[in-house]
This record gives sequence, C-alpha cells and structure tokens, in this order.
Amino acid sequence: MAIDPTLSTAALTAAETAINQTLLYDPGTRLALAQLEGQILAIDVSGPALTLYLAFNRDGLQLLGNFEGNVNTRLRGKAFNLAALIRGNNTSLASSGVEVFGSTALLAKLQTIARNIDIDWEEPLIQLFGDLLGHQSAEYIRWRCGYIQARLKTGLRLGSEFLTEENRSLPAHAELEFFYQQVDTLRTSTDRAEAKLQALLARINTPPSNTSQP
Amino acid sequence: MTEKQSIVDKQADHCIDQQQSETHFGFEQVNSSDKAGRVAEVFHSVAAKYDVMNDLMSAGIHRLWKRFTIEKAAVRPGHKVLDIAGGTGDLSFKFSRLVGCEGLVVLSDINDSMLKVGRDRLLDRGVAGNTQYAQLDAQYLPFPDNSFDVITIAFGLRNVTDKNMALCSMLRVLKPGGRLLVLEFSKPSNTLLEKVYDTYSFKALPLIGKLVTGDADSYRYLAESIRMHPDQETLKSMMVDAGFANPEYSNMTGGIVALHSGTKP
Repeated sequence: MAIDPTLSTAALTAAETAINQTLLYDPGTRLALAQLEGQILAIDVSGPALTLYLAFNRDGLQLLGNFEGNVNTRLRGKAFNLAALIRGNNTSLASSGVEVFGSTALLAKLQTIARNIDIDWEEPLIQLFGDLLGHQSAEYIRWRCGYIQARLKTGLRLGSEFLTEENRSLPAHAELEFFYQQVDTLRTSTDRAEAKLQALLARINTPPSNTSQP
Repeated sequence: MTEKQSIVDKQADHCIDQQQSETHFGFEQVNSSDKAGRVAEVFHSVAAKYDVMNDLMSAGIHRLWKRFTIEKAAVRPGHKVLDIAGGTGDLSFKFSRLVGCEGLVVLSDINDSMLKVGRDRLLDRGVAGNTQYAQLDAQYLPFPDNSFDVITIAFGLRNVTDKNMALCSMLRVLKPGGRLLVLEFSKPSNTLLEKVYDTYSFKALPLIGKLVTGDADSYRYLAESIRMHPDQETLKSMMVDAGFANPEYSNMTGGIVALHSGTKP
C-alpha cells in the first residue's frame, strides 16, 4: 500500500528541520556539507519500500521524496541493514546487505563528516537560560555524557572479558580469527584436492591414443 | 495537411468549442463574463490575511501539499517557470532559488491585491533578479508559444471561468516536453472522510473566515467552489482533451487535494 504523499512529505520535512536546526550549532559540519552542494545521494529502502534523496547545500541537508535529476550515489538495502551501516563504523560494505551504485567518493566524504560531527550544545542552552546558567548546564551535560560514555565503554569491555575469559561461553576475537583462518585453509586445500581429482579422472577416462605404426 | 497539424487544429477547435455563456460561481449559476469579477471580489477581501487563513484552515498542511508540488515540478537551474494564481508567492519563492541566476520565474495572478502581497513578500525575502510579476488571466496567457519549462497553478484552476480554455492556453505557452502541475482541492476517496470534510467545509470554514477576516461569504464560496470543481478523473480527461500527454495525478490527504501533472508532447 502506497503511503499518502502528505504523510511522507511531513515525515521528511520534520526530519530535515530537526537535522538542520541541530546543525545550526555545528558550523564545521554545515561548511563541510556546503562543499557537497549539487551532489545527490539516493537511498532505496526495501521493507517498507521507500526512496529518499539527500541534497546538500549551505543551509545543511535537504530530504526529498522525489528527484528527477542525476544521482551521484545510490544505496539499496533493507531498512535494518541501512540503519546498522549508519550506526556502525564499517569501512567496507561487504556482507552489510547494502548495495552501492555510482560514486563511492560521496559516501566516503559523508562518513568523514559524520565522524567529525561536534554539536555545540552550549549555545542553545545559553540562549535558553542565560550566560551563567547556560554555561554551567552545558558543563554538567558534557561531564555527565563523558561519564556515561566511559562507564558504557568499561561495562562493555568487562562484559566481553567475562563472557570470553571467565565464563568461556563465547570465543575470543583472536580465537575466532584463527578458526576462520583454519576454515579458509581447509577450503583452499579441499578445492586443490578436488581439482587434482578431476584431473586424474579426466586422464583415466580419456581413451589411450592409437600410437601403433603400420 | 500533416497528421500533427491535424491534431493541433482539432485541439484548437476543442478549445474554441468549450467557451460557454454560463458558468458556476460556487453553487450559483452566473454569466461567464461575471465570474471573474465575483472571484476578484472574494480575493480582494481575503488577500491581506490569505496566509494566516491558509494555515488556520489546513492546520499548516498546505505547506506540505506545496512542498510535494515543488518536488514533482523537478525545476532545475536555467528553467523558465510560470506560477499562475501564485497568490502570496509560496511556490515562486522556492522556484526562484531552484532556477538560479540564469532561470526565470514569473509570479502571476489575476487579482492585483494578491499579486501585490506576493510581490512584497518576495522582495522582503530578498528575491530579485530572476523573478517577474504579471497580472494576467489564465485563459489568455500573454506569452509567446513554447515559452516555459514548467507551469504550476496551485489552488487557482477552480476559480477560472473556463478551465478548458485555460488548459489550452497553458499548453500553448509550455515548451515541448514542458510540464504542467495543477494542485487543487479534489474529491476524498473515502466516504467517511468526505462526510467529515463536508461538515468542516460548510460549518467550520465560514465561521473561521468570519472570526479572522470578518468575511464568512468568501469562505462559503471556497467550500462551494471546491464541490463544483471536477474530480480527479474528470480533470485528468480534461487535460487529455486539451492535448497533454502522460496525464497523471497523486491524491494527497486522502484525496482532499490532488496534484495533476501532464506534459506537452
């Protein structure tokens, strides 16, 4: 069932406004996006079927539901795979479930821009609460975010160590790599043995050539 | 006579045949020559608070309908765009940014009050250089043949006295391959929605109009003119009769509004 254009346009408008309002507090990212002006990234989402286009300009980002010009890069995949790609730090699209068509340079530039996003939350807080309270609120939020990030990182590391080292319920990364290497070696050896076997069978099945002279 | 010339002549005959002596003004039958004057009175009355009323009546959704129209227009740098019944210039403002310095946008309206509001708004927003203003009747477009890449008419066609004649005139001034987009109120596809919409149009709209602009009659006309406007399929067939190729439409908000598009062959 097709989505009513009013709904899809409303969703895109809301997302675009939210992104561009946030980018107001990150002039570096806005400047970097402005350098991509004229380039278009298309995203074909399957399940639910949806195509959206990202255009870049001085004001930030433009999200479009319809576009008829030339597209520089097109990404195609399931919503889940695309979301995982955006959230992750993958440097390759291999086995990500996402196909890419056209120039990958735009994707690389966008990935760099996304990595360097640095939103200055202090400015909107100062506008809201005044210089003193705004600055202190921003300091507190920065400290709180840093604390949470550090705790999360430590928690993940400790959890991973417990599961792999103490409990032995999961293999360690190095063990997994070693296992994959062994599988690869076994596959190559099997391929080689199969090729040799085929060659032998071919030699056996070939009738001997008649070499007798009259 | 070539086949193409024969088709063009038939379309011209169709356009001339369609001129009628009587037409509707809301639910009222009036002389064709009187309709433009009656519509003008309505828009002179509402021009000053047109944008506020649009936001109030549609809860701001008219901005989404217009944004979808702009996307579908696929205007590119260098294009020449004619915005008929452009009113307060919502579409022209976006088009002027899209066509760039080499392009041209003509904001037009039959009503000078609306056009003045639109022109002032665009100038106040710094739009100049690639935008012109014209007071004109959509039935008699004062431009040479094959002048524009895109023509839009948003919430204006239902006020035109002779819609067939206007469509023929738009076809004439479009370049071959050029595109016409008609954004207009239409017929809701769901009967329940239609009932709710009818109640809202005939009870709430005149009341809002009276409270905000002190003019209930203009908004009663709005509701009546919407009901008298051709539905989606009828307007599509009118575009075919006028000579447009690839006519299609997209329903928005359950068919309360439809965007029709067609291309000049």
